[in-house]
Amino acid sequence: MALNLRQKQTECIIRMLNLNQPVNGTGTANEEVYKILIYDRYCQNILSPLIHVKDLRKHGVTLYFLIDKYRKPVHDVPAVYFVQASQQNVQRIIADASASLYDSFHLNFSSSIPRTLLEDLASGTLNSDSIQRISKVCDQYLEFVTLEDNLFSLAQKNSYVQLNDPKAGDREIEEIIEKIVAGLFCVLATLGVVPIIRCPHGGPAEMVASALDQRLRDHLLSKNNMFSEGGNFVSSFQRPILCIFDRNFELSVGIQHDFRYCPLVHDVLGLKLNRLSVQGETGGMKSFELDSSDPFWVVNGWLEFPEVAVEIETQLNKYKKDVDDVNRRTGGTNGAEFDGTDLIGNTKHLMNAVNSLPELTERKQVIDKHTNIATVLLGEIKERSLDSYAKKENDMMVRGVIDRNELLGTLKGKGSKMDKLRFAIIYLISSETINQSEVESVEAALRESEVDTSAFQYVKKIKSLNVSLASANSASRSNIVDWAEKLYGQSISAVTAGVKNLLASDRQLALTRTVEALVEGKPNLEIDSYLVFDPRAPKSSSGGGSSHLKGPFKEAIVFMIGGGNYMEYGSLQAHAKCRQPVKHVIYGTTEILTGVEFVEQLTLLGQKMGLGNTGAPPSSTH
Amino acid sequence: MAMKSAQTSFRDRTQEFQSVVEKLRKSHSSGSGPNGQSSSSKSDEQRSAVALQSEFNRRASKIGFGIHQTSQKLSKLAKLAKRTSVFDDPTMEIQEMTAVIKQDITALNSAVVDLQFLCNNRNESGISSDTTSHSTTVVDDLKNRLMSATKEFKDVLTLRTENLKVHENRRQLFSSTASKDSANPFVRQRPLATKAAASSSTSPPPWANGSPSSSQSFPRKQGDGESQPLLQQQQHQQQQQQQQQMVPLQDSYMQSRAEALQNVESTIHELGNIFNQLATLVSQQGEIAIRIDENMEDTLANVEGAQGHLLKYLNSISSNRWLMIKIFFVLIFFLMIFLFFVA
Repeated sequence: MALNLRQKQTECIIRMLNLNQPVNGTGTANEEVYKILIYDRYCQNILSPLIHVKDLRKHGVTLYFLIDKYRKPVHDVPAVYFVQASQQNVQRIIADASASLYDSFHLNFSSSIPRTLLEDLASGTLNSDSIQRISKVCDQYLEFVTLEDNLFSLAQKNSYVQLNDPKAGDREIEEIIEKIVAGLFCVLATLGVVPIIRCPHGGPAEMVASALDQRLRDHLLSKNNMFSEGGNFVSSFQRPILCIFDRNFELSVGIQHDFRYCPLVHDVLGLKLNRLSVQGETGGMKSFELDSSDPFWVVNGWLEFPEVAVEIETQLNKYKKDVDDVNRRTGGTNGAEFDGTDLIGNTKHLMNAVNSLPELTERKQVIDKHTNIATVLLGEIKERSLDSYAKKENDMMVRGVIDRNELLGTLKGKGSKMDKLRFAIIYLISSETINQSEVESVEAALRESEVDTSAFQYVKKIKSLNVSLASANSASRSNIVDWAEKLYGQSISAVTAGVKNLLASDRQLALTRTVEALVEGKPNLEIDSYLVFDPRAPKSSSGGGSSHLKGPFKEAIVFMIGGGNYMEYGSLQAHAKCRQPVKHVIYGTTEILTGVEFVEQLTLLGQKMGLGNTGAPPSSTH
Repeated sequence: MAMKSAQTSFRDRTQEFQSVVEKLRKSHSSGSGPNGQSSSSKSDEQRSAVALQSEFNRRASKIGFGIHQTSQKLSKLAKLAKRTSVFDDPTMEIQEMTAVIKQDITALNSAVVDLQFLCNNRNESGISSDTTSHSTTVVDDLKNRLMSATKEFKDVLTLRTENLKVHENRRQLFSSTASKDSANPFVRQRPLATKAAASSSTSPPPWANGSPSSSQSFPRKQGDGESQPLLQQQQHQQQQQQQQQMVPLQDSYMQSRAEALQNVESTIHELGNIFNQLATLVSQQGEIAIRIDENMEDTLANVEGAQGHLLKYLNSISSNRWLMIKIFFVLIFFLMIFLFFVA
């Protein structure tokens, strides 16, 4: 059974709205109970991609408020709270209970509420003598945002900066790791699986993996665990694999320009929580929603942009043809014989035509929406010549070299400051050796365009420190390449792999390659050094019959610490689909970042390291 | 939804909470005395509001329950309407149920209108705006559900009408052949119709013969016409043996069918009226695709914009020395005029 995270989260939320009683077949209770929903900002972000107001109405929710807002009493109505477990929220709940705003309070915390806060809540409500109003307190373990069926994010800001901050102390890093582990635990609890965890050595990935393993073990030992998956399926065929990576594993993906529809919309127009605001054709801002309920988006979201334009064209023509068809049918029967005995037949024709009108209107709306988005995108692309950036960056990553004149020409040409900075950083990552003079000319060109070079300096520094940016060469491997790598390290393999990949049309990301290797389970040089954690296995038996832990898996959960984006997600999904048999991959990250946002984080790091810039303040583009 | 019974992804902390409360209560048992009085005074003033609200809630839940029951009856009716065949037609049942459901829907409709009336009247007696919007939303939701139930009812009736029409067509076709070929083809009987041999003159099963006139258009119905002649024969054997009396039987049958058809059509018409009434009352517009965070951002942006403008204006006013001087001059000017012309 494929794991569908979005569906599971929606089910959990609906159950919560149903006052935590199981939902029966029709989805409504016999005795109608109308309730009020109250949430905080984080939980609002969780709810808005999943549930719309009309779904809320279906489940009996009449009003919905932010917890910070000033609310007035609505007596005799139960209230469902869905908030994070924080001191502030608990204080507000106590205030609400004391003021008797609602009849009964069903409190749901998005993750586990710590004992101290529970005691605070108890003492607060006891003091105001409103303890009888609190009817339920639950931990929902839903502290993550699901954007699509297989895409989730923990919405934890600036995790890359915090983890790589040179001045960060041990305690701060531990706190961040704790938060990430809590989020991952919620995801696993919602899916109801205990996966096998694999991660590369060192870095935040290993810390997160071992902390998560520990937490899962503790939880499984407690008597009320949430992972009773029917029996003792220790066979790894049923369990998915959880692969944890750090952003430094493949830095280029976070920065690159991509030319497919979905990453373009996210990067250029700022898609947040499946929602997009663009300048309408008639002026004024319009906001659209792009998720799995939009048929055009589902089918064409991963095509390259020119093909998308063609698709819109064909859809528009098809729509026009259908409209003419309907017109003909209804217009024609007016003149036909209108005998009384066939009254019902005629009305049926008319009714069919009328019923098809809403569907046609919907189709037209979808086409209009995408035409609007595509037009705005086209404007941006032309202005910033994003297609040439995407192509050149792709070439650089594949071949590893770029003509110097071309490089400088691009840096001096069209494009926003951020585009140039990103291009320069990709150049830095992709080139196998640091050619000092070229780098200096690049820096000069950047300074000319008044670009803040802190991020560039930062990447230069960490590259010189030999932090493994493993995917500078992200092509498929062969024996020669393996041998070359063993002898000479990555630099030569970049060249040979680049030659190989001239034939391959689609560049495979290092992440995809690694995940494929992990899922396949065949012995592979790259991944053999990866750590394995199995929370279900007793602690003593490590090593020994653990071959099944590396066997082929059917499902995988990939987690990227520090920031992911739609490009990675897209390539993982495309790859999973064309495997035989079809594998199923869920992709998650601490937060979904556009290239600009990620480079801003790099800039922050560069500034913290004191590698400052020589001039203009960081440009804010958005 | 098939959820495994043991698989829950949430933890109920209510027990823990209660135990914490008990512990705290024991340690605070002395200090909880004076708190009791303040809460009782608060509850006095809320009692009237609560009473009105609970009246509203009671009626709303009754209506909701009624709608639920009606939809269950509707699904039964739909099943009945679908499975009618040419002769085994539970006309009586269907008509009964239709009448009952129609009564239910009319009663629910008036109850919803009353509820709305109560809700509107209540809004004058100092109740919070949140309560008002809650009540309005509840009433709207009930109206929506009643309207969808009515729509379903209409669909079922349309389906039934269609079925009746089809049956009538069939009957017309076959009864017309019966009147034409009365003499010849009834000699050829099927082996199943041995019982009918005795009364072969009385019960012509026109479906049994491969009569060339009508059957080509209904080849499938020949197939299930096999079983039906048997029923028909039994029916007739029970009642009459004369062919002459066949015709009045068919006639009365057709009459009852025509009546049923007319009933259905009048019901549809009345439903249409109810429909219109509901449609004018229901506001379906804005909630189709609203996201939870939509209005928030708009109002936030608006409020921030307004605040910015106000701040700018405040700055311009407060730091405007020229304004004060101008006002001063105007005052002096009027004073001078006053002095000159009066004094």
